[in-house]
Order: sequence, then structure tokens, then C-alpha cells
Amino acid sequence: MKATRVFQLTALALVGVSAVQVGWWLLDQHAYTVQKVRSARAGYSAQVAAAQALLDSGASAPRVTQLLPDIVVSGGRAALAPQLDAALTSEERRRYNQYAWEGSFFLLALAACIAVIARALRAEARVHEEQDSFLALVSHQFKTPLASLQLSLETLALRAPPPEAARTLIERMLADVARMELMVTQILESARLERGRVDLRPEAVQLAGAVARVLAQLEERSRLAQAAVTSEIDAALYVLSDPLALDVVLRNVLENALAAVEHAGGGRIACSAAAAGGVVELAVRDGGVGFAAVDGARLFEKYTRLPGGGSRYGTGLGLFIVRRLMELARGTVSATSDGVGRGATITLRWPADARAGSAAAGEAGRAAPAGEPRP
Amino acid sequence: MSDAGPTQVLVVEDDPHLAAGLMENLRAEGYEVAAAGDGEQALGWLASRACALIVLDVMLPGIDGFALCRALRERGDSTPVLFLTARGDPADRVRGLEAGGDDYLAKPFHLQEFLLRVRAIVRRWQWYRSASASPATAVLRFGGNEVDFRAFRARAWNGEAQELTEKEAMILKVLAEQGGQIVSREDLLERVWGYDVFPSTRTVDNFILRLRKRFEKDPANPQHFLTVWGVGYRFLKEGGA
Repeated sequence: MKATRVFQLTALALVGVSAVQVGWWLLDQHAYTVQKVRSARAGYSAQVAAAQALLDSGASAPRVTQLLPDIVVSGGRAALAPQLDAALTSEERRRYNQYAWEGSFFLLALAACIAVIARALRAEARVHEEQDSFLALVSHQFKTPLASLQLSLETLALRAPPPEAARTLIERMLADVARMELMVTQILESARLERGRVDLRPEAVQLAGAVARVLAQLEERSRLAQAAVTSEIDAALYVLSDPLALDVVLRNVLENALAAVEHAGGGRIACSAAAAGGVVELAVRDGGVGFAAVDGARLFEKYTRLPGGGSRYGTGLGLFIVRRLMELARGTVSATSDGVGRGATITLRWPADARAGSAAAGEAGRAAPAGEPRP
Repeated sequence: MSDAGPTQVLVVEDDPHLAAGLMENLRAEGYEVAAAGDGEQALGWLASRACALIVLDVMLPGIDGFALCRALRERGDSTPVLFLTARGDPADRVRGLEAGGDDYLAKPFHLQEFLLRVRAIVRRWQWYRSASASPATAVLRFGGNEVDFRAFRARAWNGEAQELTEKEAMILKVLAEQGGQIVSREDLLERVWGYDVFPSTRTVDNFILRLRKRFEKDPANPQHFLTVWGVGYRFLKEGGA
């Protein structure tokens, strides 16, 4: 990384020096041309003066033009041949034009090089900055559950608590481990998405089954968050998505809702879905901490953790992953809230697919096994 | 925080697991514990109650731990603060102590170290308060200066009113208690800050300079806060070089 930066900076310096060199070359050539034209004109002026002196001393016009072929004589006056004057002016203009075109081309090419290198440097600086803030964030986010885990373990070792208190400590430790595991998963998923290392294979997946499967995984987490989770999704609804990507999307959305509810001291989470206008829409409503309307769009940016929000225990990557995976599935995601402390709704929309739509219609009421793709 | 009843500690931590773990352990050590999940709650609690120690997380939602500590100090609340934070680099430590904190512990920490630090801070403050409890020990008069240890206020020799920080008052208390004996920088650090809060004893020197500016007629030629080169400091009530 450092070698690349050194190379970029060296290239930038070389291109900069080259631009200065081209500028200097242009000025030099311009000065040279001016000087050459001036000396040519001075030479011609001397010839005209000499011719005039010869004429004045009685030499005949043919004799003068024979001696000085660049001179014409008209009415006893010597002058430079008009075609020579025109040729000199034309050569002077041609050279200026040449410098202007060549110089502009080289300077533009060099300016483009400088712009490209400067852009690369800026992009790299931004990546460095993001990496630094990401590392700071990740280390901070890991240290809190780690501190809690260590505290619980040392409490067990130091106090030898009765079975009931020990069970509470163990549950707390398991939840801390789960938090850290979720963070690791999110960081890896986010890194894969950013590097484009995703191989999505969309197929028709039953939505109700996929939601049920993720909810089953999060059952213990829901209990600890004191969340009452309900899901009312028509078994006939199918979405066109990669099953694993759908699983990741649903897990992150539901984890987000659980964190919001947990921080509000418990509450309800309701999942409902509908198909309308060629779109399958899943809404996850929670009675959690909510957010201010202005923060709605920011929720899906990387590392966003809103003040007062339950998501601050995470990496700030969960909803970013959701947005990227929904984009790859040609879907959308949006978030709404009536304000801080008034819950929130995350709405996921997948475009209807002819295959999924017709299949769904044909199988209305017959639920496939939870989360499994249609045969 | 009377000597008769249990010592009250306020835990300000937004992580419910960590807050619960801290509270359980502090209770097991005999402290009475209250909890606040954010800075606003903590300020509300402290507006009507007092405690012997605030265990304060730095990264809190809304008002952060440093800002909360500064707000407390600005309103004259000298309750000792033990910062808990995930950021443990020296710059952050200094920031925390500049904000008026008494000690700083980086997450993750060892339970016994945490309890040791809590005990040390509480002990220091209990010593200070008991050493300033009687009318005879609550006020110190020297060289025309008058220091009220309980109110953290003083009137200097030139009539100027002075607001003392808790550290300045504690240093003065330690020095005054020794009755003219030499106190080493290390002893001052140990008695006022604890064992390893500051990286160097230069901190003590800076505080002595501040005390001289407040109370010496000519800080360049001190009569009361005397340096014993290579050893520490000596406080002379009556003055003398």
C-alpha cells in the first residue's frame, strides 16, 4: 500500500515536472520564433536600405534587383518582395499555430494525467480514512461485549454465585458471544459485498418460510430482547432471490428490529407481506426506539448508528448489507418512523417475477418447507 | 456518602449487560448502586442526590462521558469519576483526566482491578472528607490566604476569591497535614490520584505551580510551597525560604 502511494506520488511529481517542462518549451519556442522573425525582418530591412542607397547613387533598377533578388523596385523606391513578406508572415503564423495546438495537446494530456493520479490519491486517502474509522469502530464495538463477557466470567470465578445467578451470567455471556458473532458475520458479509465477491443465484423462494426460518434462529435472542414477534405472511407469496442472500437480508432486518425493541425495554415486532403492482412487499414493524425522519436515508449507509438507537451495539453495517443485497436482487428497501421512541418500519420490495408470480398463483395456500426454494 | 451507611455509587453505562455486571459486583462489595443508561438520566439523578463515585462510560448516547464530567465540574460537583472506555490510548486518558475525571479504565478490564480502583478512589475521598470534617481542619489559613476545604473555595492574600479544583484542594490538604515535613512527588501522586493514573510526576509539579500562582505573593520566590530538589515539596504555613 505504501509502495503504491510512493509510486503514485512519484508519478504525480514527474507529470507535474513534465507539465512545467512543456510550458517552458512553449515559451522558449515562442521567444525563438519571435527572435528569428525579428532578425529576418531586420536582414530584409538592411537589404531594402542597401537597395535604396544603390538606387540613390544612380544604379539601375535591374542591376539592383540582380544584386539583391529579394528586393523589388517601383518608381525609384526599393521594397521587400511582397511574396517574401507574405511568406514570412505565413511562416510566423504557422509556427504559432503549431505551438498552440501541440502545446495545448500536451498540457491537456498532462493535466488529465495529474487529474487521474490526484483522483486515485484522493480515493486511496478516503479508503485509508474509512479503514481507520472502521478499525476504530470495530475495536470499540467489540470491546464492549468483550468487557461484558470478561466481567461475567470473572464474576463467576470470583464470587461462586448460586445456580440461579450463575445461569443469568451464562445467559449474558451467550448473548455477548452472539453479539460478537453477528458483528463478525456482518463485517465479512460487508467485505464480500464491497469487493463484489457475491455469486447470487436467484430463484423463487417462499417468503413465509424464509421469515419463519430466520425467526426460529432468533428465538432465544427475541426472548432476551423481550420482543413479541408475529409473522402473518401468505404462504403463496414467493420472491425471486438468492436463498442465502434472502436469509442474510431477513436476519439483518430482524436483528435490527430486535435491537431497537430491546433498547426500548421490550415490545412487539410484526412481519406482514403483500403482493401488489408487480411487487412483493415485506414490512417489518417494530415498537422500538424509532428514529427522527431526517435520519431515514442515513440508516442504510455504512457505519450509521443513530443516537439513542438500539443499533449502536452493532457494527453499523447490518442495514448497509441489506441495501446492497436488495440492490443486487433488483429490489428496494426503505425505513420509516413516526419519530424517536415511536417504533419503525423497514419495508423490503422485490420486483415480481413472471416465473415466481405464476408459480405462486398456482400454489396458493400450499406452503413449501420453511425457507426452501421452490422445486 | 456517610461513614455510617453504605457508600453510594452511580454507574452510567448504556450497555445493559455491562451495567448489570458492574452493579452486581459493586453491590457484592457492599456499595449501594444506582444506574443511569445515558448522560441525561445521570444528570437528572445527580441533580437531587449525591454519591461517592460515578463510574462513567465515555461513549454514551447523546451527551458523552467527557462532556457529562465537564458539566458536573462546571456546576461545582466534585464527585469523583472513574471513566470506563473502549478507547484506551494515552491521548484519550489525558482527555478524560482533563475533563475532570479521577481515574480511567480501558475496556475490557479485570474485575479485581476495577474493584481496586473503585476502593482507592472512595478511600481517597473518604480520607479527604474526614480530614476536612471538623471546623479546625475544614479551613486552612496561611500567609493571609484562607482555604475552605469543604467548599473548594479560597480567599487569596490580595483579597481575590479562588475556586479550587478537587485535585488542588487535595494536594494542599496532603501538604498541610504533614506540618512542614517533606512530601515526595510519588506520595502526592499516590494520595491524590492513585497509583498509575498519570504517566509522570511532572503533573504534580504543574499543580504546585498553580497553587503558587494562587497563593504566593511572588510565585517565583515561594514562601509556602517550597521545592526540595530531587525529593518533593514542603509546605510552610508561616512562610520561609
